Amino acid sequence: MAYGYAGKILLVDLTAKTTSTIDTAKYAEFGGGVGIGAAIFWDLAVAPGDWDLQDAFDPRNVISLMSGPLAATGVPGGGRTSVCAIAPETFPTPLFHRTSFGGRFATMLKLAGWDGVVVRGKADRPVWINIIDDKVVIEDAKALWGMNTYETQGQISTMVAGRTRFGDEWHQAGDAYTTARPQIVCIGPVGESATRVAALIHGSGVSARTGGFGGVFGSKNLKAISVLGTGSIKVADPKAIVDTRIWHAQNFSRGAAPGTAACMPCVNNDRRRDSFHGGESMCADEYWFMGERMKGAEVAMKWGICTWATKFGGAMEVNMPNAAAPFKGKVPMEPGMGWYIKYLYELGVLGPGKKIDSHPLPMDQWDKLVFREVFCDAIARRIGIGADLAEGILEAAKKWGRLEEDLNSGALRLPAYGASWHHSLPGVDWAYGYIFMSGDPMWHGFFSLSGGGGFGGPATYTAEELVEMMAAKVVPFNGDPLMFSNCWKGEEARKTGVYSEHKAKMVAWARHYAGFYNESMSICEMMLPSFIGRSADGIAGPSPDLEYRYYRAVMGDKKTFADTMETGRKIWNMERAIRVMAGRHRDHEQFAPFMYMPGATFAMGGSKPVYQDGKWSFENQNDLYLDREGVEAFKTHFYKLEGWDPATGWPTRKTLEGLGMKKIADVMASKGKLGS
Amino acid sequence: MAESEKTERKNRKVLRREFLAGGALTAGALACTSVTAAAALASPQQQTSLEPSKGYLVYDSRLCLGCQSCMFACSMTHEGEANPSLSRIQIIRDAPSFTKYPYDIVMSVCRQCVSPLCVQNCPTGACHVDAANGNVRRIDQSKCIGCQRCIESCPQRPHRTIWNHLTGKSTKCDLCVDAPYWSQKGGPSGKQACVETCTAKALKLVAEAPSQQDIDGYDINLAPARRPMPKMAPKPAATGG
Repeated sequence: MAYGYAGKILLVDLTAKTTSTIDTAKYAEFGGGVGIGAAIFWDLAVAPGDWDLQDAFDPRNVISLMSGPLAATGVPGGGRTSVCAIAPETFPTPLFHRTSFGGRFATMLKLAGWDGVVVRGKADRPVWINIIDDKVVIEDAKALWGMNTYETQGQISTMVAGRTRFGDEWHQAGDAYTTARPQIVCIGPVGESATRVAALIHGSGVSARTGGFGGVFGSKNLKAISVLGTGSIKVADPKAIVDTRIWHAQNFSRGAAPGTAACMPCVNNDRRRDSFHGGESMCADEYWFMGERMKGAEVAMKWGICTWATKFGGAMEVNMPNAAAPFKGKVPMEPGMGWYIKYLYELGVLGPGKKIDSHPLPMDQWDKLVFREVFCDAIARRIGIGADLAEGILEAAKKWGRLEEDLNSGALRLPAYGASWHHSLPGVDWAYGYIFMSGDPMWHGFFSLSGGGGFGGPATYTAEELVEMMAAKVVPFNGDPLMFSNCWKGEEARKTGVYSEHKAKMVAWARHYAGFYNESMSICEMMLPSFIGRSADGIAGPSPDLEYRYYRAVMGDKKTFADTMETGRKIWNMERAIRVMAGRHRDHEQFAPFMYMPGATFAMGGSKPVYQDGKWSFENQNDLYLDREGVEAFKTHFYKLEGWDPATGWPTRKTLEGLGMKKIADVMASKGKLGS
Repeated sequence: MAESEKTERKNRKVLRREFLAGGALTAGALACTSVTAAAALASPQQQTSLEPSKGYLVYDSRLCLGCQSCMFACSMTHEGEANPSLSRIQIIRDAPSFTKYPYDIVMSVCRQCVSPLCVQNCPTGACHVDAANGNVRRIDQSKCIGCQRCIESCPQRPHRTIWNHLTGKSTKCDLCVDAPYWSQKGGPSGKQACVETCTAKALKLVAEAPSQQDIDGYDINLAPARRPMPKMAPKPAATGG
């Protein structure tokens, strides 16, 4: 097996209660992570042709938890676990979706000798999967069912590694000795009842949030997966990995700065669970659940609810002139379910005995911790309003007859109807990611492409210097600075700006890059890409040279950076093929109405590079909103660039065969889903 | 090799079969056997006056991020592959039982003891004081017979000598004196992979021996200008809280 891989993938069939092995080499052409997860999903769930891919809770749904080849090699941030399957959270129908989580699960999985775990079927009673190196047992989870995620992990840890007091002693695992405890990913009560807002929880504060995959675990009667590994991962060039780490730290280090997710080995995490900084103990994202500082986050983690979908609001607000009266022209940047029910309560349509009965939620204690507990309990047990909320915020709004009105006003501020989201405008490229179902594209690498950073501050470079530096980096689309123009007004927007073929290149490059490096090599996207200079040599950041150096040190193959980007394009087409087979079409790729209205942009300061009248400048774009015809023109450019049929958005045979995916094209053709 | 080391090794050399006949413990007994330092001192092989090491790894367990970069660097530079269980430095996090900061991490770092019981109780001279490399306490793999006496003798919990189940021999921190995959010169006068890759600067090599009496003598404050805890609480949304 090639360097970096453990060499095999665990396939668990919960219906048959069997385990088997998939040879990783069969799928190595898709890199790792989501790439391999999507390819396996195709083979097990799509190619047989006996499932319409419409119900995320169908036992035929195949959920994979995959590492990347950089995990367990010491590459910083390379230990994320990629998760993909048909997701219960997407709207209006479940669709193939991917997410990921940090922590130590992927690393431990690799050390146990597995590149991933793939689960299909449905157990006839609650179970958990116990992996100790090569030994895999499907265990009875009757005693764990109903426990919160902290209790569950504590119980499993004791069962697997004994009662040795933490840190005191080595213990035996198989033939080896280790100080490590098992790494566990599990669901809480919100996942057990197969809701659409459940997360997968790992450790005390790491979760796979978007997509609602906790509900998929629950639908399969799968409480947890535990793994303890004592093995090794071989790499091509051990010296180069350590040397690159030191070079990275000395030249571009973000140091021990807090504020990011934790991917083992994470060089940015923060251990203090109540510090509001990100970290392995509690991801920064969780604070959106609010409620008496970080205690609200702990409630969410224990119940296993998706903090992103159920956000109670945030500190940041956006001016929205047409927002409903109770909010005085302002709404939070990223309101979720928690904020939305308060909004309806303030409007007088939700409350005890109202049109939308809030029972059992104590609305007068909305800001208290007790509300968070009742909120989670009501959803987990589908009590009263909890039954509606368990289906997700958009399904609930639809049932309450409020969907259209609140998407228009922006009170339901989900830009593209899909799974829960994070940020968008004025990052038009970021927003486009949502309509193409790249989930939360997490475009943080491009977020810094602004005058002085997204949160403002003086720029130390000109717009022209910035775009020229960037244009040199984006192989194979290098040499086109107009990719980075955020001009959104007038004819220039269509010619060179946000609706142009140049912008299509930027969106495609970011997707191919992320598909390979972030989602398949599983490098934390809060760390890489990093484009803006932290180097004494100038404004250029270490990307993409740094991640390519890590890749080469681990894998040792002869792929060029352009080759890795081509693999990213292949992964993107694999995902696209699955979505098309599940019904995705150009017509579905639409923004919510508020994105076309003033107030669509979150007013966060900073500025974007704009090319207009033959000159580059930085422009504050707090007033940016989109144009429907412009977006349609952009979609056509994007589909053409990707080799997809502009009329349908479906990949063509030529595109798929050019990527070595003839078998995929044949299946799509047999179902009449191939682009022409 | 220094003359003193040659003499030491000669004096302490015993045949593996002779030692095993004397009652070495099996590997399977390792995990559940508690051997006190006093018992270990009773070994006939003990020596009491050894030259102190010229280098010691000290650490700051409050500063450590728990990222285990040091463990990966250690196994990578010594073994050529990533295996935290073979790392000579162990960073143990208590994620499953959720102990809160700063008690959520144990840093298990070899102390290069001034009176090293691992050396004193090694029956073959494999575990020795390397006079040629700043008196670092090392294990000569060619002499190790896998008796695990060094592991049982280590007074620290968890023990700082490491059992390599793949080779059936013990290893321990050598301050990167013999790290085949390390580009730098190691040892007390050189650089250590764990120190160099520690992003948090939670590890440091010092020349002076820390207190041998104080159990926390090696766990020191390496960050006098520690980050202050943030004062800002999250601002509630406009509509409540």
